[in-house]
Amino acid sequence: MQYLNELKEKIKENLPELDMVVGWEQGFDSLRASPLFMRTEDDVDKMIWGPLCVHNLATYLPSLKGKKVGVVVKGCDSRSVIQLLQEKLIKRDDIMVFGLPCTGVVSLRKIQDNLGSLDYIESTEVDGDSLNITVDGTNHAFKLEDVAANKCSRCQYHNALLSDVFIGDPITEEAEDEYTDVDEFEDMSLEDRMAFWVSNMSRCVSCYACRNACPMCVCRDHCVAQSRDPHWITQEDTVQNKWFFQMIHSMHLAGRCTECGECERACPVGLPLLLLKRKMNKEIKELFAYKAGTLIDAKTPLLSFKVEEDNINERGW
Amino acid sequence: MSADSGKELRIVGFLCNWCSYGGADTAGVGRFQQPTDLRIIRVPCSGRVDPLFVLKSLVNGADGVLVSGCHPRDCHYSEGNYYARRRLEVLKRFLPVLGIDTRRFEYTWVSASEGQKWKTVVEKFTEGIHELGPAPVIDATMIAKAQILAATAL
Amino acid sequence: MKIGVFVCHCGSNIAGTVDVVKVAEEARKLPDVAFASDTMYACSEPGQDGIINAIKDLDLDGVVVASCTPRMHEPTFRKTLERAGLNRYMFEMANIREHVSWVGKDKEANTKKALDLVAMAVAKLTQGKALISKKFDINKRVLVIGGGVAGIQAALDCADGGLDVILVEKTTSIGGKMSKLDKTFPTVDCSSCILGPKMVDVAQHPNITLYAASEVEKIDGYVGNYQVAITKKATYVDWDACTGCGLCMEKCPSKKSTDYFNEEVGTTTAINILFPQAIPKKASIDADFCIKLIKDKCGICAKVCPTNAIQYDQQDEIVTEPVGAIIVATGYDLFDYTKYGEYGGGRYPDVITSMQYERLLSASGPTGGHVKRPSDGKEPKTIVFIQCVGSRDKSIGRPYCSGFCCMYTAKQAILTKDHMPDSQSYVFYMDIRAPGKLYDEFIRRAMEEYGTQYVRGRVSMLYPKNGSLVVRGADTLLGKQVEIEADLVVLAVGAESAVGASKLAEKLRISYDNYGFYMESHPKLRPVETNTAGVFLAGSCQGPKDIPQSVGQGSAAAAKVLVLFSKDQLESDPQVSVVDIKRCVGCGKCIETCPFGAIEEIDFRGMTKSNVIETICQGCGICTSTCPQGAIQLQNFTDNQILAEVNVLCQQTLEKSFE
Ligand SMILES: Cc1cc2nc3c(=O)[nH]c(=O)nc-3n(C[C@H](O)[C@H](O)[C@H](O)COP(=O)(O)OP(=O)(O)OC[C@H]3O[C@@H](n4cnc5c(N)ncnc54)[C@H](O)[C@@H]3O)c2cc1C
Ligand code: SF4
Ligand code: SF4
Ligand code: SF4
Ligand code: SF4
Repeated sequence: MQYLNELKEKIKENLPELDMVVGWEQGFDSLRASPLFMRTEDDVDKMIWGPLCVHNLATYLPSLKGKKVGVVVKGCDSRSVIQLLQEKLIKRDDIMVFGLPCTGVVSLRKIQDNLGSLDYIESTEVDGDSLNITVDGTNHAFKLEDVAANKCSRCQYHNALLSDVFIGDPITEEAEDEYTDVDEFEDMSLEDRMAFWVSNMSRCVSCYACRNACPMCVCRDHCVAQSRDPHWITQEDTVQNKWFFQMIHSMHLAGRCTECGECERACPVGLPLLLLKRKMNKEIKELFAYKAGTLIDAKTPLLSFKVEEDNINERGW
Repeated sequence: MSADSGKELRIVGFLCNWCSYGGADTAGVGRFQQPTDLRIIRVPCSGRVDPLFVLKSLVNGADGVLVSGCHPRDCHYSEGNYYARRRLEVLKRFLPVLGIDTRRFEYTWVSASEGQKWKTVVEKFTEGIHELGPAPVIDATMIAKAQILAATAL
Repeated sequence: MKIGVFVCHCGSNIAGTVDVVKVAEEARKLPDVAFASDTMYACSEPGQDGIINAIKDLDLDGVVVASCTPRMHEPTFRKTLERAGLNRYMFEMANIREHVSWVGKDKEANTKKALDLVAMAVAKLTQGKALISKKFDINKRVLVIGGGVAGIQAALDCADGGLDVILVEKTTSIGGKMSKLDKTFPTVDCSSCILGPKMVDVAQHPNITLYAASEVEKIDGYVGNYQVAITKKATYVDWDACTGCGLCMEKCPSKKSTDYFNEEVGTTTAINILFPQAIPKKASIDADFCIKLIKDKCGICAKVCPTNAIQYDQQDEIVTEPVGAIIVATGYDLFDYTKYGEYGGGRYPDVITSMQYERLLSASGPTGGHVKRPSDGKEPKTIVFIQCVGSRDKSIGRPYCSGFCCMYTAKQAILTKDHMPDSQSYVFYMDIRAPGKLYDEFIRRAMEEYGTQYVRGRVSMLYPKNGSLVVRGADTLLGKQVEIEADLVVLAVGAESAVGASKLAEKLRISYDNYGFYMESHPKLRPVETNTAGVFLAGSCQGPKDIPQSVGQGSAAAAKVLVLFSKDQLESDPQVSVVDIKRCVGCGKCIETCPFGAIEEIDFRGMTKSNVIETICQGCGICTSTCPQGAIQLQNFTDNQILAEVNVLCQQTLEKSFE
C-alpha cells in the first residue's frame, strides 16, 4: 500500500486530460479486488493497491480504443501494454501508463485451497509479507510468498517496463525463468501428458472466461471459437473441441503471450492453461530469442522470417 | 513394405499447388509406386497452411500430418514458405506438451520436378507413422481412463 | 446443394487400378450429391457434353470431376461449367490419376482412396461459392528488358503492332552478344550486317523509347498496370547533346581502360562509344578510368567536345514508366573458365575464350580481323578448340548443355581456314549437337570441306612449351592419348545465366531454376509465359539459345503481349483474399505479411480496417493463415473449405467413410 497516496495524487493530477483511468478497488469482499474505472476525484479515492490487485488492467485498453485512458500497471501488466502497442492494437498517444513496482500478487485459488471456501471472508489485511484473513471469526495467517501466484515467483519484470509516471522505488530484478515447470511436465510420458489434458479439458465448461480475460485476445465477439465462418469449432460438446480451443488460443498467442496468467486465473474450473502458453513461449524464445511484450519496436516472430533461419535445423529427407 | 501390408492409417497431406502438389503429380506421371495411406489437400502455398489445420487433424483422428511446400527461395509467392517454416517449426515443437508424438507431424520441401523425392518422402513418412501405429483415439473410454489416471496421480 | 460427380476412367489409366464404377456408386451416397456417374474420358467432347447435360437436366449447383490433376484440366472443366451456365468456381477436382491410380497397384486401397478424395472435393465444394471476376483497364505499353537480339525483335514486333515500347538495356548500346559476333552459323553471314539494320530500326521507331545504360530498379503493380522505376546510370555525357562524333575518344589520354565490348582483347579509352555501330551512338565515361573523375585532373574531353556534352557531375536518375506487360530478354553470360585448372586457370595468354576469338576474327575488332595471338601478335598456325568448357559437367555445377557451342565452334573453325588457309584446326568435343535446320550439314562441311580435325575426348592438361601450348587429351574413339602443339587454344565456354538474373527475377516475382535461368509456365505448352501474369520471356534468359531460337521467342513474346492487349480490359482472378469488414479489427497483421503489398489500410466509418486490392493480390493465402480471427479469407481456399476437407478425413473412423 506504500505508494497508494502518491499514485492517487498523480492520477488526480492527470485526470483532467484523460477520459478515465483504470485501477483497482475492493470487490464484493475484502479479499477480492475488482477493476475501477475512475472518472472523478471521488472515484480515485476508492482505489486500492497491493498484492490483492490481481487483474491485468491492460485487458481493457483495446475496447477503450479512441478514448484517452490512463492505466495502472504492475510489471507483468506493462508487458501486455507493450505488446498491444507493438501490434498497433492501441495508440501510444491515447494512453497514459501509471507504472508500479510489484512484489507479487496472491493466487486466490491457493488461498481457497487452504480455506476450503472463499464465501465467508470477513476481513483481509496485508501486513508486510504476511496476509491475515478472517473467516467466520477465525483468523488465518499466510505468508504472502506461500499464496503468491506462480508467475510471481519467477517474475523477471517486477517494475513496469513502460510508464509515463512511475511511482515508488524500482525493485532489483533477479529471477531467471528456465521454464522448469514445462520441462517437468514433459518428463511425463506422452500418454500421461495427453491423459492430463483430456481429463482436464473434460472439465472445461466452454465459458471462454480464459479468452475474455486475455489481454491479447482482442477479437472478442469475433473469436473463431464461436464463429461459423470460419467454423473451426463445431457445435458438439466434445473434449476435442474444448482442447482444440486451447490450441487455438496458444497458437494465436504464439509470440504474443506476455504470461500475465489471466486465462488461468479467470478459469472457473481452475485449468492449468498457462502451461500451454509457457511451452509456446519457451519454444519461441529458443527459436527466435524473443520475448513478447518487452519491445514496442520489435516484430512478432511469426509475422516475420529470415531467409536463413538461425535456429531452425530442417530435417533432411 | 509395412505400410502396404497392414491396415491403412490416416495420413493427411497439405501440399502447395506450385511445387509439392506438382511434385506429387510428377511422381504419378513417373508411376512411382507409393503407399496408399496419404490423402492430399491442395493449398496455394505452404504459407496458407495455418498450423491449426494440422492440430485440428491430429486432435480429430489423423495418425500423421505432412506439409510440403516449395524449397526456401523458390516459393511461387516468394515468401510464403518462409512464414510456413517458422509457424510449422513452432508447431512441431509445441506438440510434446500436448502429449502428441512429434513424429506424427512433419514438414518438408519438394519441388515440382522432384517426383522421386516425393515418393521417398511419402514412403518414409508413411513407414514412420506405421511404426508409431494408430494415434490414441479420444473417445469415452479414453476420457474415463484419463480421469481415473488424473485422480490417482493427485 | 445439388452436386454432380463424374468419375473418369481415363481409358484404363484410372479404371485399370481404381474401381471407378464403385467410386461413382459410393459417391452418390454422399450428402449433397444429386448425381454421380463414371465416364470414359471426362475431358473429351462427349465427356464434357455429359457434364453439361447433367447440369442442365438436374439443375446442378456444382460439379466434381474425379480424374487427373487439376493442374492439367481444371481450366478445361471450369469452361465446361460456364458453357452450362454455372459459375466456373462451383467446381472441384479429385486427382485420382496422378495421386491414386498411377502410384498404387492395390485396387481396393486405391478405390477407397479415390472415394475419400471425391468426398473431400464434394465437402469442399459445399463450402464454395460463385466468384465473379472484376474488369479493369489495361495500359497498353510494354517494357522490354534487355536489348540483345531477342529483346530487339520483341521490341520491334510490339512497336510494329502499334504498342508503345520501353526498351531498357544495361550497357551503353543494344545489340547484346550478337553484336560481338563476326559471322553467324549456319549461313556464315556477317553478324553486324543482319543485326545492324534492326538496331537502327529500334533507334528510329517512333513507338520505341530506348533507355540504354539503364536498369530496372523496382516494379510495382500487376498485369495491365505496372509501374516501373528505371535507373538511368550516370554516363557523364549529356546524350541529348552528344552527336557521337568521337572526337573525345581520339583525345582521351586514359587509353588503358577495360574494353568490355572487345572482351578485353586490347583496351579502350575512358570515354568511349561502345562500338562503331552502337545504338544509341553516344559516348560515355568509364568512371573507373577517367582521370578527371578519379583525380580531378585532365578534363580534355570537355574541352574538345564540340557540343559541350560532357557533364562530370552527372548523377544516376530514376524515371518511372507505367506499362501493362513486361518482356524479359536479359540473355546469358559466359562461364568463367579459370575455374578449371586443366586449362591453365587463366595463366596462359594464348588460351582465350570463344567470344574473344569472335572479336579477333571480326573486321571491326581490335586486330582489324587479322587473327593475332595475344602473347606475341603472331598469326597462329595450329588452333585447338575445346568444347564443353563449363557445359555438361556436374562437378562444377553446370550439368546442362549450352546448346550453341558445337555450332559456333564449327563456324569458328571454318572462319579460321578462311582467314588463314594454311592453318589447321582441331576440335576436342564430347558429342556433337547439331539438331537445327542445315546444322548437321554445317558441321560436316567444317570436317570435310575445311579439314577440321575432330577429336572425341576431353582435354586433361595443357602446358606451354617453346612458345606454343601442348594440349594433351584422350581420343576416346581411337582409345589413345593425343598431344597437339597448338599456337592458340580457344575455349568454347558455356552459357550461364546473366549476371544479376536472380535479383531481377525477384523484382519481377518470377521464378528461376537452379542455374538462374528463368522458368517458363510450362516447359512445352507455355514456353514464353511465366507464372506471373503479364511477364513474358524471350531469348536465352530462359536457357541457352542460338540466334534463330532467340529471335523466334522474341516474336512469340511480342505476339503474347499483343494478344493480351487485344482486349481493352482484363479480368482479375477472383481467387483473391477478401476481408470481412465486420470481423476485421484493423490490426494490420495481414498487411505486414502480404508479400505483394496487396492489402491497404482503410478507414471504415471511423474505424481502421484492412482491404485487399484484388488486382494486386496473387492468392497465396498467407494473410488468411495470419489473421487470428479469420477475417480475411482467400476465396476458393477459405478456412471453411479446407476444414471441410480435413473434417472428411478426420472426423470419422476409417471404416466409417467407406460403408
Ligand atoms: C562465341 C559465341 C558465338 C556465337 N555464335 C553464334 C552464331 O554464329 N549463330 C547463332 O545463332 N548464335 C550464336 N551464338 C549465340 C548467341 O550469342 C545468342 O543466341 C544470342 O546472343 C542470344 O540473344 P539474347 O538476346 O537472348 O541474349 P544477349 O545477346 O545476351 O542479350 C541480352 C541483353 O540484355 C542485356 N541485359 C542483361 N541483363 C540486363 C538487365 N538486368 N537489365 C537490362 N539489360 C540487361 C545485356 O546487356 C544484353 O544486351 C554465339 C554465342 C557465343 C558465346
Ligand atoms: S482465441 Fe484467437 S480468435 Fe479467439 S479471441 Fe483470442 S486471438 Fe482472437
Ligand atoms: S475459462 Fe476454463 S472453463 Fe472457461 S473456456 Fe477457458 S478453459 Fe474452459
Ligand atoms: S489480420 Fe485480420 S483483423 Fe488484422 S487487419 Fe488483417 S484482416 Fe483485419
Ligand atoms: S492472399 Fe496473399 S497476395 Fe492476397 S492479400 Fe493475402 S497475402 Fe496478399
